[in-house]
Amino acid sequence: MRMRMMVLVCFVLCFISSWAIGQEVRLGALQDTTGATSDVGKDEALGVREATQYFNDAGGINGKRIRLFQYDYGYRVPEAITTYKRFRDYDKVVMVLGWGTGDTEALSPTINADKMPYLSSSFSGHLCDPKKTPYNFVYGTDYSTNARGAIQYWFDEVWKKEPKWKELREKGVKPKFICFMDTASPYATAPIKAIKEQATILGFEIGPDQHVGLTALDTKSQVLTAKGFGANLVWHGNTTMSVSAAIKDGHVLALGADHIINNWGFDENLPKLAGPAAEGAMGLLGCALFIDEYPAKNRVLEYAKKLNPGIPLENRLIRTVQGWVKVAMAVEAMKRADKAGKLNGPGIKDAFETFKDWPGLKEYGGQLVTLTPTDHRYSSIVRVGRVVKGRPQTVMEIDMRAKYPDKWAGWLGY
Amino acid sequence: MSFRPCGNYHQYYRQDHAWWQTKFVWGKMILLGIFVFYLFPNFAGMYLISIANVVGYTILSAMGVQLLIGYCGQVTLGHAAFLAMGAYSCVLLMLQLHIPYPIAMIIGGIVGGLWSILFGLPSARVKGFYLIMTTMAAQFLTVEFFITQYVSQIGGRGVAFSIPPGTVKIGPWMIKNDRDVYYLMAILVILFTFIMANLIRSKIGRAWIAIRDNDIAAETMGVNIVLYKLLAFFVAGFFGGMAGAFWVTSLAAVSPEHFHFGWSLWLVGVILIGGVGSIHGVIFGSLFMTLIPEGLKFLIFVLTQNPIFVNLMPFLPLLLEKFLFVKEAAFGLAIVLFLIYEPNGLSYRWWQIKNYFNLWPFSY
Repeated sequence: MRMRMMVLVCFVLCFISSWAIGQEVRLGALQDTTGATSDVGKDEALGVREATQYFNDAGGINGKRIRLFQYDYGYRVPEAITTYKRFRDYDKVVMVLGWGTGDTEALSPTINADKMPYLSSSFSGHLCDPKKTPYNFVYGTDYSTNARGAIQYWFDEVWKKEPKWKELREKGVKPKFICFMDTASPYATAPIKAIKEQATILGFEIGPDQHVGLTALDTKSQVLTAKGFGANLVWHGNTTMSVSAAIKDGHVLALGADHIINNWGFDENLPKLAGPAAEGAMGLLGCALFIDEYPAKNRVLEYAKKLNPGIPLENRLIRTVQGWVKVAMAVEAMKRADKAGKLNGPGIKDAFETFKDWPGLKEYGGQLVTLTPTDHRYSSIVRVGRVVKGRPQTVMEIDMRAKYPDKWAGWLGY
Repeated sequence: MSFRPCGNYHQYYRQDHAWWQTKFVWGKMILLGIFVFYLFPNFAGMYLISIANVVGYTILSAMGVQLLIGYCGQVTLGHAAFLAMGAYSCVLLMLQLHIPYPIAMIIGGIVGGLWSILFGLPSARVKGFYLIMTTMAAQFLTVEFFITQYVSQIGGRGVAFSIPPGTVKIGPWMIKNDRDVYYLMAILVILFTFIMANLIRSKIGRAWIAIRDNDIAAETMGVNIVLYKLLAFFVAGFFGGMAGAFWVTSLAAVSPEHFHFGWSLWLVGVILIGGVGSIHGVIFGSLFMTLIPEGLKFLIFVLTQNPIFVNLMPFLPLLLEKFLFVKEAAFGLAIVLFLIYEPNGLSYRWWQIKNYFNLWPFSY
């Protein structure tokens, strides 16, 4: 009996001591590992954990250990809300790494009232205007700029140059463009206004939007509508799983159009899921693919093997690297805020806004980051990828500010 | 059915119909009131208050589902559509026409009710699986098509509508933090419960129950089943619309993603777990469906992050790697176990426990 009591006391003491608050910085991470976007969310969650461990091993936030509070919310908005409140009131984090567009946009008024910096995996252009969302930050080129860049790339490099479109081009036909997306998903719909505006600028004919659910497995009716319209280019606004279903259906039904995919739908899994149908598909890349060569690759591989050995490296995706990018950007902001003696919400926000051509993300294939108190767009550079011989790879980077200098300022918050 | 202490006799029908028939019950209710309006909001902390707000929102949302399924026998799988109509009506009235929140909320409820009647009309002709299909149509036509494609575009705000701080106020009372939302939620839950409980024991409620039990028999006894079914849809839609309008205060934003099909199914789950045909069931079901996932989330976090547990059981980190669905599976298992071992829901268990103590020591 006494022995049992002693064991119990030791256990309780160990438990308490392990949770004791020391010199630590609390960081919240909202993830979708089981919901509608878990096809990309699981891998990102791994990357976030591994990166946090790395930065802790490298000295944390100026010597303070990062304590990561990472929860899955299954892409359910009410659960995102309670989880955020948990971060704010119970875990008492200094900043949050968010996930979806729906919950990030829904939480935006709350986080602004709470002065909680929120670095989100949603790169919605709506979150980049500090006049409306001062505490929201993104770690990739925003969806709207990306979508404009992608369609620009297709027009300049594919429509105007590739023999596939020579006949139509010479006839002076306007390219026909159609959008596939989950019309009820703020993530999927966020860049639609921008991409249609860009399509109009480039002189495209725009077809009727097609609703494809985030978990869709069959998209034949949408593909047939696109075929009836005579689409030359299809924009896919969803995540990898439903995008691959749509591309396969397009292949089976001989749609004949080119495909451009938003960044959460374009990764190493696309050719695996869509097979030969994915060949030539274009997409947007926020950073290096996991299979690419990039300066921090050894570090990413080492921590992937060390912390999550059960997951084969060949199954890892660009999402892991995106997790690293997210944490690296958050860590830099927290370090700067800590140095300034203001490791709190407003301090971290101010620290983010001091980023000027910050090169820290180049190690992961990201861009130079510039953020100002009047513009939270991470970069104007759009990185376009393409599936070539079954393997996604970067084909071009376009600077949309340089290409449209007169329009760039007006696109803020679009 | 309830039991009174021995020797407690009623002399008037008023006493017989009173909600709280003994001083002991009055005492319990006063204590509950003190807990709900004073102790909990002042001492529970903001995290628990925000959880309570989600519980309250679930109660408000599921009340209409309980009315339709539990009391009137009209199965609905599209209730989120009526919530969405109420939420969007309320927000648009506030943002576009600057109508005060309480009026916008009531109009939101009425819009939800009228919208519900529209999709309740087929209930005059069809029932069972066909009615389920009709209510599912309400979900997809309303949220995925009407709201997403058209309503969301009003004012050029994009899909998500944000409500500027200071917009939501009731007279001089500004709803600005979770505690204010909590008080509003508590008042609404009490109001809804009061309305629902009184409706159920009125002529209308008896007609609904008669339709649920056997609609042909009800009709032969003179119940106008079309009228009462549509009334049930209106009241359920009104509750839904008000719930949607309440949700707006909690979040200061609204988007179609808040009212997806999964939420409609979730609400049916709430009443199945809590108990079909019971107002207590709505409350218990909402508590279960909100607190269990929250608890599981915390449990998974502790088990996978605490070095003591991880050292004792090195396989635990796999919960974040290969067995991500353990939380969801545990939750699903809990629902299945309830349906097998407690098909009458938590409210039935509550009723048994209450009667055990009421009849103690002669509880057999």
